[in-house]
Amino acid sequence: MNGKLLAYSMIRLASFLAPAGRRAAWLEEWRSELWYVSPEASARFSLGAFRDALWVRRHQPRHVLLESPLACLAFLAGVAMLAFLTAVCLPSPEIPAPGAHLRPRDFPGLSVAMLAMSLMFLAGIRAAMGPARYRTRPGRVRRAVFLTLKLALVQPVVVTSFLMMLLTGHVVPIAGQVLFSATWALTLRWIVLDQRRRCPVCLRLLTEPVRIGSASETFLEWYGAESACSRGHGLLQVPETHSTYAGARRWLALDASWKDLFSEAAERR
Amino acid sequence: MADAPRLSHTTAMILQAVAAGHEYGYTVMDVTGLPSGTVYPALRRLEEDRLIQSKWERQSAQDAALRPPRKYYRLTRLGDTALEASRKRYPLLARLASAEEVRDL
Repeated sequence: MNGKLLAYSMIRLASFLAPAGRRAAWLEEWRSELWYVSPEASARFSLGAFRDALWVRRHQPRHVLLESPLACLAFLAGVAMLAFLTAVCLPSPEIPAPGAHLRPRDFPGLSVAMLAMSLMFLAGIRAAMGPARYRTRPGRVRRAVFLTLKLALVQPVVVTSFLMMLLTGHVVPIAGQVLFSATWALTLRWIVLDQRRRCPVCLRLLTEPVRIGSASETFLEWYGAESACSRGHGLLQVPETHSTYAGARRWLALDASWKDLFSEAAERR
Repeated sequence: MADAPRLSHTTAMILQAVAAGHEYGYTVMDVTGLPSGTVYPALRRLEEDRLIQSKWERQSAQDAALRPPRKYYRLTRLGDTALEASRKRYPLLARLASAEEVRDL
């Protein structure tokens, strides 16, 4: 194959990694640069397009979905409803007791049982994901209520995957168990992750992440990422490595004097 | 005055190349010897950090030369400050394609 043709194909392939909104401009730039590269060097040159496209994807400005806690709960309620409808449409799976079947009326009880088990499992997931101590008294009850509601609303999804495991158990023995375990663990992990990405005061998702410091300069300086609450309640600092002076993620509460600055930024957005 | 941003050696090399007059991505690659997968994302990051700014070539220039337009880069004032600080930190940086050499080409 002609060297340039191969290079153009590689760039075209890499363009699918770039975000759709910026793909045309990205492609134009790489095609234009490729024109100046010799045919022998063009394939090697085009390899870099994959890395660049990934960089563009990772650094695109993100629209924050489900920023408000109410939007998050409404979304989860919708998913729970969908999961419930799916469970109702599924054939009733047999349970170990002779001749017994799980009926849709068993669904709420099953969800409550699953919620109790999830609460026990949650502590393990939180420990595995590393420490996070915010030490902010205001909003503690609100945070606990929000976490419990999220946990309760994801249970129909977990129960549906449990029913699917029972249904497919004797056809493909391992697949159903893997699907159920993965759904359960990943759902709980998402709940903890989402909780940690929120402002502990207003429970809105933190925005504007910026990188702080550099890995090569760690003497008494931390490096990692810092996100801000769009309402100006504070900053969340997440160090990339643990050290004696920068261990767990820290919440830096801002007083009311900062509020004006954040309201101006919100208006500009 | 705010401190100039501290740059890694690779980033400083790319900034030095742009300052020396290598205004296009491919020529920056050529002079620094860095692969395209390093140079292009670094140029984007430098632009995002406002150390350089990019501009597409005018339509008439590329039409006359019968070639596609090029995106060229130029240092900003902040980029100049950062490069100056980097030259103190990496003394050998100035040996990488000085502006005089580029003019001689």
